[in-house]
Parts: sequence; C-alpha cells; structure tokens
Amino acid sequence: MTAMRVDVKVVMLGKESVGKTSLVERYVHHRFLVGPYQNTIGAAFVAKAINIGEKMITLGIWDTAGSERYEAMSRIYYRGARAAIVCYDLTDSSSFLRAKFWVKELQTFEEHCKIYLCGTKNDLIEADRSMRQVDYHDVQDFAEEIGAHHFETSSKTGNNVDELFIKVALDFSNSALELMRDEKGVDLGHKKDSYFYACCHH
Amino acid sequence: MAADVHNKGGATWDTAKGGLAAVERMRSDRSDSPTPGLVEGTEPGAGQEHTMFVHAQSFEDLTADSESNPDAELTGNRRSAVGDSEEVQEGQGVELQGGSTGNEAGEQKQWAGQQRGLRPAREEDVTGEAWRAHRKHVFVLSEAGKPIYTRYGTEEALSTIMGVMMALVSFVEAEKNIIRSIHADGYRVVFLHKSPLVLVGVSRSSQSERELSRELQYVYYQIVSLLTLTQLDHVFRHKQNYDLRRLLAGSEHLTDNLLRMLEYDPGLLLNAVTSLPLASVARDALSAGLQVARAKSLVFSILLAGSRLVTLVRKKDQYLHHMDLHLLFNLVGSSSSFREGEGWTPICLPKFNTAGFFHAHISYLEPASNLCLILVSTDREDFFNLSDCRRRFLERLRRRSAYKALQEALHSPTYPVSQVGIPELWHFVYKSKSSGLYTSPELPVPYQGEEEHERLIRLYRYLHSCLHHPTRPLRSMYRSGNTENLFAWATSGFELYLCFSPLGTKALAMSAVTKLLKWIRKEEDRLFILNPLTY
Repeated sequence: MTAMRVDVKVVMLGKESVGKTSLVERYVHHRFLVGPYQNTIGAAFVAKAINIGEKMITLGIWDTAGSERYEAMSRIYYRGARAAIVCYDLTDSSSFLRAKFWVKELQTFEEHCKIYLCGTKNDLIEADRSMRQVDYHDVQDFAEEIGAHHFETSSKTGNNVDELFIKVALDFSNSALELMRDEKGVDLGHKKDSYFYACCHH
Repeated sequence: MAADVHNKGGATWDTAKGGLAAVERMRSDRSDSPTPGLVEGTEPGAGQEHTMFVHAQSFEDLTADSESNPDAELTGNRRSAVGDSEEVQEGQGVELQGGSTGNEAGEQKQWAGQQRGLRPAREEDVTGEAWRAHRKHVFVLSEAGKPIYTRYGTEEALSTIMGVMMALVSFVEAEKNIIRSIHADGYRVVFLHKSPLVLVGVSRSSQSERELSRELQYVYYQIVSLLTLTQLDHVFRHKQNYDLRRLLAGSEHLTDNLLRMLEYDPGLLLNAVTSLPLASVARDALSAGLQVARAKSLVFSILLAGSRLVTLVRKKDQYLHHMDLHLLFNLVGSSSSFREGEGWTPICLPKFNTAGFFHAHISYLEPASNLCLILVSTDREDFFNLSDCRRRFLERLRRRSAYKALQEALHSPTYPVSQVGIPELWHFVYKSKSSGLYTSPELPVPYQGEEEHERLIRLYRYLHSCLHHPTRPLRSMYRSGNTENLFAWATSGFELYLCFSPLGTKALAMSAVTKLLKWIRKEEDRLFILNPLTY
C-alpha cells in the first residue's frame, strides 16, 4: 500500500488528438493550452480531490496516449478502473469508431468499469454546425445500448467538463453507498474502510 | 520480460566496464597534486569511486557498431544470414565517387548562409528548391521500400525517392556487398542498413561519412527505444510491407528534436553529458536522497535540470550508456506531456537491451521548474511505488539546505568563460573520459546566434573527427583561422577543445591549456559529479 490515497481510478481513452489531455488540463488546472499539438507519451497520472456532499473523493485520473504504439500497454492503465471516459472528436467520424473499439475492449476485460462517452471540441461545432461528423442521437442511442453516459464537452470553453467529472464522482459515491447497503453489517473489528483503497492498483 | 532485461544487462556491461580506473584513489591524493593527471582516472573530473556510465576505453569502443555489441545475439537469425557480407563491409565498402566534394571553406560559407528556423511545415513542397537546399536530410524506410520518416516534407510525397534508395541498397547487396555511401556533386549520401530498417542521410556539409553514419545510428536507436527491436522484427516478419508510421505516429517530433540535438549539443558528439554546476555538498545530499528513496524495481534514478544532469543513482552493477541517456533527455526535452502530471511510459534503452521495455516514471519536481526526475523501473505495475519514491525524495529534500542550493544553482546553470581568467580564451569543451562527463562555459557573444552556435559545433566536430580518424588519429591539433583559432588535445584521460580569439598565438594556446586544466581541477567539485552513488 502506498501513501497516495485514490478513491476512484478513472481512465481516459480514445483516438490520438481527440483532446483527452486538454480535457484533463481543463478539469484539473482550469486552463486550455493553445499551441502546437503535443501527444502524450505513455500515460500521465494526476490526482484530483472533489467534494461530493459531505464527502471528499479523490479521482486518480490516467490520461493515456492515443497512439497505437501504446495499445498493447493500455491494459495496465485501465485495469481496475471504476470509470472510463472514452473520448471522440465531434468533428472526426473515425474517432468515434475508435471509441467503439475501446468500449468493446472495456466490456470484455473490465466489466465493472462504468463508461462515459465524451464528444470533444464542441466549441468547433458551435462556431460552425457543418463541422459536426458525429451525430448526437446516434451516440445517445449507442450510449443507451451499452449503459453508458453521454456528454459533449469543450475544453476550450470549459463547457460541460466539470459536469462530466462530477458525474463520475457522484456515480462512484452512489455505487459505494449501494454496496455498503448490500453488505451484511458493520464489522467493528475492521476499522479501516479498505473498500476505498481497494480500487486503484493491483 | 522485465526481469530478463535486467539480468542480461548486468552480465553484459560488467565485462564492458573492464579496466575501471581510479577505484581506490582518495580525495586527498587528488588535491595534493596541483598538476592535473593526463592519465585516465586522474584527470580533472574523474569520479572518486565508480563511474556512472558504461565505461569504455575510447570513443571508438563506445561508437562501435552494435554488430560487435553483445546484444547482437538478440537479432540472431538475421545477423548470421548476412554475416558474410558484413566482413566485406569493413574492408571494401562500395563508394561511388562522382563529381567533386567541394572545398571546405566554400561549404562553410554555404552553411553560414542558411537560415534554420523552427520545424518547417510538414507540408513542404518536396519538388521545390527550398526542400533541396536543406543542409541535411534524413530518411528512414522499411526493407520493402516503404517510407517511415523524413526530416523535411511528407513521407507520402517521397515514396518514389525512397523506392530508389531501397533499390540501390538491394542492388549492391545482391552482389554480397554493402553500400555505404555515394559522393556526388558536393553531396554525401550515407546508407545504414539495420534490418528491418534502412536509414539514409544526405548531407551537403563536410561532415565525415563516419559521423553521418553515427547520426543515423542515433535515429535508429531512437526508433528502437519506442518499439524495441523485438517488436520491430515481429511486425515486419508478419507483414513485410507494414506501414510503420502507424506505430510511430506522434513520435516524429522526437526524431526531429534528436537531429537538432545532434547539430548543437557537444554531448552527443563526445558521448558524454554535462552536469549542472553545483556545490558538491549539495549534490551529494541530492544523491543520498535519491539513494534512500529507492524501490525494488528501480534501476536508475536520474535528476535533470533542463538538459543538464544533476545526479544519477543506479543499481549496483548496472550502467547506463550515454546514448540511452541522451535518448531519455530527448524524450523529456521534446515533450511537454510530463508537465501535466506524473508520466508513466514504457521505454526501451537500446544500448542496455534492445529486446525489452523499461518503465519510466517521469515528473517535474515543481510545476514551473525545469527539474525533472526520471525513475527507471523494470516493473510496469510499479507506478505507485515509484510515485511514492518521488514523494519521499521531495519531502526529504524540502527539509534540507541542499534544496536551496539547488534552486540557486538553477538560476546560473552555466558559467562565463571569464572565470577561467584567460582573456584570449573564448570557449572550450573539456571531457573527462573516465567519468563520461564534459564541461563547457556558456557561449560567448560571437557564437550566441543559432547559426554561429552551430558553426562552432561544426568546427569542434571537425577537430573531433581529426582526433578520432579511423586510420590516422591525431593527438593534438592547432588550427588558426580568420575568425578564431582552435586547439584540440586528446590524452588517455581527457579530450579538450578550445576556441581562442584569432589574435592569439600558438604559444599562448599552449600555456592556456595548462592554466585551464588547473582551473578545472580546482573547480571539479562543482563542475563534475565526483561521488556517484548506487542503491
């Protein structure tokens, strides 16, 4: 056991350059970096605490590289994840195909991982409707079919970004409560709430 | 696989380390003698006990082709298949000579006349004059002739020219021979066939064929470091005409940056790295901090300030090769991705082992600083343990005065040449052979522009190639010119390159060398890493 306390392991997945890193940057650092595109190398980990009601929940976010080169490695990043934010670029239909690939992968290997479909670069659509290549309702249908949540965000304007991550934390918090209700009772000998530690790294 | 990597490397480099000098030398011995030793292990900057890097007697050892490298066995079949022709390569490589290579002075002017901006748009017109005018082109292709990388322009636009390159390579190989270079019309075209890749460098500079070939090797290892040779072989064995760009997507800027580094970083030329000038007390405290913050899977802990090494702690009996360290520098230096959070990435250190990945935890110690900590581990599941090592190191560091000293040192990562106290001396590069570290002052005014900086490095490169000529190596060399006078000297302990004002004389240069060596000896505590540690 290490000192870093992480409640929920969240993994960002999706085709390269759809904006996974920008999304994390916006949520964690409240900024949007303009400049030449920089691809992520391997993966980057960042922890972020968030208040849900009375409780503080720490999201451990794994921002993975979209490049195919790291695909074989991707399992170590999503293994044990409680939430996966699968990103696609609203202006690039091929990125949605890639998102479907990741969904399938998660359904096969991580059935307990909640999936959040996230269309990115919404600001481009707002500026010019003809840029849209991925239909909102198509994704909505797909999301319902796989039992996922669906968001359209813009890291540039910040639109819907906090909502997405709050939803992730909220869902986790609720599911944790449900689990507690399911449990047979409180074991007084078992002081530490090991459940919260159990999800992040094994 | 991870554990394999590890053991293998240990066995390999133990022998390579060979005659490690200066093992028992005590600190007092050194300071007693003010005259710097010329012999390896006693030269200024030589480590007190152990070296940090893979140790070799000479530049030639370090640059020896990986054919003679122990990891050749990893590529087994392929190598033995072409074994015969490789012998031929030594003696009688094909040189197609045509046209003149032009005189050096003329070429130097041409270089100077060229502007080098930032990364040009990839969409450059490859039929245009501007594309042809680039001083150095580098192409990488597969054995099926498929483009993998071009320094300028797009690969698609160059598929025909790459096809021709592959045709040349296979035509000569069909005769059980190997094409090494073509010299024509002032151009030098150098080929490096490292199955399953073919690398081609086209240069208009006076750089030697050997130098160019060495640069191509760097590019080759850059690609291997991303994929491992095992994966590379595997991919092409299954599909000969595979488009490797799919796997390399997003890594072009790494190769771009590496090629730029080769042009201005003397470290890549000298097979050495430079360290951040820092009081030895502070440096030792940092090393001790890294030593304590260890984990089972940890092999190397490397603390960088920009492109300067602050300290390196390694597992006992494991040595890092300069080339691998430069590849790590390049990875960190050409990406802002590690500023975002804690990076965790597979990386192959090809001079250690081309077959497997290490896993590197890469993070900046503080958001705005350029202090970067690289923890190299054998276990891909060990992220949180390493993250904890980092936290422990940082906590300990913040409680100590060394941290303050370090932060102050970061404000002056270099020193002016005037500290040496030789007015005619403009610049120098001094490499201590046994430590694998070099020191160099900041560039003086005449060389601060990008163009002039590169010109100075080219001059040093020329001196270097004379000192390391394969058949007629020089021990020392003085060259007087219109814009500067140059002097180079190699002993078994060090290599020294100096740049003087053109008004100086040779006699003055000679006396300056003695004075400079004394100065370096006096400052070695600060300029070098004398007490490298192991876990």
